[in-house]
Formats: sequence, C-alpha cells, structure tokens
Amino acid sequence: MLPPVSRKIACMAALACSVFLGACGRDPQPIHQEQILVFGTLVDITLWDVDKTKAQQATAAVIHTLNELHHRWHAWEPGPLTEINARLARGETVRLAPDQIEVIRGAQELSRKSGDLFNPAIGGLIALWGFHADDRPSNVPPPAPGEIQKWVARRPTMDDLHFDGDKLRSANPALQLDFGAYVKSYGVDRAIDELRRHGVSNAIINAGGDLRAIGRKGDHPWRIGIRDPRGPGILASVEIQGDESVFTSGDYERFFMYQGKRYHHIIDPRSGYPPDGAMSATVIYPGGGVGGGASTALMVAGPKDWLAVVRGMHLQQAMLVAADRKVYLTPALAARIHFEVDPPPAVIIAQP
Amino acid sequence: MMTRADWIVLILTVALLPSLYMRYWGDEGPATSVRISASGQPDITLPLTGNRRFTVHGPLGDSVIEIRDGRVRFVSSPCRGQQCVHSGWLARAGELAACLPNGIMVSVLGRDRRYDSINF
Repeated sequence: MLPPVSRKIACMAALACSVFLGACGRDPQPIHQEQILVFGTLVDITLWDVDKTKAQQATAAVIHTLNELHHRWHAWEPGPLTEINARLARGETVRLAPDQIEVIRGAQELSRKSGDLFNPAIGGLIALWGFHADDRPSNVPPPAPGEIQKWVARRPTMDDLHFDGDKLRSANPALQLDFGAYVKSYGVDRAIDELRRHGVSNAIINAGGDLRAIGRKGDHPWRIGIRDPRGPGILASVEIQGDESVFTSGDYERFFMYQGKRYHHIIDPRSGYPPDGAMSATVIYPGGGVGGGASTALMVAGPKDWLAVVRGMHLQQAMLVAADRKVYLTPALAARIHFEVDPPPAVIIAQP
Repeated sequence: MMTRADWIVLILTVALLPSLYMRYWGDEGPATSVRISASGQPDITLPLTGNRRFTVHGPLGDSVIEIRDGRVRFVSSPCRGQQCVHSGWLARAGELAACLPNGIMVSVLGRDRRYDSINF
C-alpha cells in the first residue's frame, strides 16, 4: 500500500495527465487547400494559417494569373506566342512586351548554360512528334526518321534569336518557341508573387507536379514527396527550407506507347528523339527561376552528361533516376533527401 | 490509506487516458476518403472503403473510377492520352490523378498527410 503522500501524488499525476492530454489536443489544422484545373494542368494550392476570406481572394488571384499566362505562352493554341512564332518564321521583326522579353531572354540564358540541351527553339520538332495536342493518341506511329532528321539538320537554337531593344528577329526560319516546363516555373513564380501580395507567407503552389514552397506549416517544415517514376508511390522526400522550388521532369508525364516502346514528350534536340537514359530528373533550388529548364536539360543529358548540366546551370541539388533505376545525386541533395522505398535504391553521389 | 474517493479519481483518470489518447493522438490511418471533382459539377467525397466502380460524366464522355482495398484509380477514360489510367492506384493522402481532357480529378484525402505536396 502506498503511503498517503505518494498516493495523493499518484492521483494528482494521473489527473494532470488526463487534463494536459486534453489540453494539447490537435486543433483542426488551419490548412486551406484547393485543386483546380488551370494552366493546362492540375494546380494544387496549399495555404497555411490564412483566414478563409483572404485564402479565397489569394486563390482567385492565383487562378487569374495562371489563366492569363496559360493563354500568353501557349505553344500551339492560337495566341500571342503562336503569333510571335509565325512572324519570326516569316523573317519579320517582332516588337515584344516587357514580360515577353523577360521570359525569352531568361530562356535564352538558361539554354546557353545547359549547352542547348534545354532548347525551347525546337517547337517544330515537338509538334512533329504530336505533342502539340492535349492528348496524343497511342496508336499513331512516331514520325518517320527522315522527317526527324530534316528538323535536326536545321538546328534551331535560342542563339538564332537577336534582340534590338524590344524588337526580336530570328536568323533561323525553323525556330519555333515552345517553352514547355520553363513556362511552368515562370507561372509558379508569378503565383507565389501573387500570394505574397495578398500577405500569404506559408504556402505551396504545385502546378502539375512542379512546385515552389514558401514558409512552413506551423512548427514543421513543408514535406514534399517525389514520385517514383515507375509506380504510383513516392521515391523520396525532402523538407523545405524557407523558400525553395522542387521541379521534376519524367518520361511518365506525357508519353505514348507504340509497339511496346515508350515515347515521351521530352525531345533531345541533338538526335530528335526522346532520350532514354533517364526516367526522371529533379532539381531543388532556393527561390524561383530555373526549374523547368534545368529538369528538362537533365533528362536530355542522362547519366552520361548530367554533371555537365549541373555545372553549367550552377545547380547545387539535383537527382537523376537513370533507366536502370540507379539514382545519381549531388552531395548537397544526398545530404537531405530521404528515400521512402524499401529497399532504398542504389545511389551514386557525384561531385559536380 | 486510500479513501474511496481516491480510488474513484484514480480509476476514472486511468480509464480516461486511453480514450483521450485515441481522440487526440490516434492514427486515422493512411487515407480516409477520396474526392472526385468534375468540371461544372459539385465535388463528391466518398469513403475509401469497400469495393466499387462508378462512372463520372465529363465533356468527352464517361470516366470509370474504381475503389478497391483502400485504393482508388481511373479504370478507363475517353481521353486519347490515357495519362489518368497510367497514374495507376492512389492510396496515400495527398495523391491525385486527373483526366484533363475530360475535366475529372481524383484526390485522396486524409487528416494525417505524410506529404504536404507531391512532386512528379
């Protein structure tokens, strides 16, 4: 039998436990999440600790911004970009708005840094492959090798574009701009700007799988899962530090199967064919900017040339999942990534 | 000596602990329900339990969605690209698949999300 004092302490402790357990119960999480079909993709907006009215206003502003950008930069639906492409192809000089100069110059610089592996001048080649359609049918064969060769031989690159103040002309009639994933990074960055203008400082904008996260989720950092390129599950996760973008390009995003072979939407400008060295490529970097261009270039480079892209584009954190499922990592990403598959994949850490 | 009141307090608190624990810290499991959104229609939320198949109407035609063994997937869709079907089974909170041409999306909901967002 316990002595009276211990007895009282035991009772008090048990009571205190119950009371405090109740007190630290989870509040309903102040998370606001919306998924919308906009920007030609599924955009997932997550806001933390924002009151409902403000969240709705901020979300509406993001949707508006993305809708405008979608129209402004669409590579095949008739609009400003198809107009620019048509005029450049005719050898005309095109006067651009400041935002158009910003995007085109930005893409030009990225393209150069990537050694032209990210090459938004090959819109014609992408169209030839049938990827200038929301859903390319699977039973249509890939283009004839002769047709592909013709495009590759004309070698359109971003260096064919010449600025004179706000005027642009092209030295190569084969050049057709298609910014692909790069426009997605631009859109995500503009969406984050819009959220910040509305006073939101903890949020994630995920546009069809490519995202930028700012702030935190209360006491915890945002945790991002990176999809396994060959399965519905998650390959790895990272915790976001402050303001970071996470961009992945993969051969599973848009592809068609023809006679048992996979043809995906990322085209190697050197060969004219979808590269087959990698299944997915991920880059993580502070703030916004390079995302889509960098992950595209890494996919094209594959395990053989990926480090050259990492160096050229000054990437600190990159991951490449090769066709043999080996995972190539830069040391900075290896230090923070957490694999979610069992057994973990074979990892090769390479110093850029 | 313990008085009767002491015993009652002690028994009550000990009895309360598990229920409080379950209420506040209990694990809800990986995923609890699935939300289906089709453009122009109100969202539908269904529990991710039982086995069933159903049809959702979109602008292109009917998409078939299946719930089985705590997972959900697109069985078929009238789109040409079939990306939604290629997405396969979704089982974890936060996972989603969409048929953009047919304007239908499926997302798995759950209170305890392991990931805040998924990169793909």
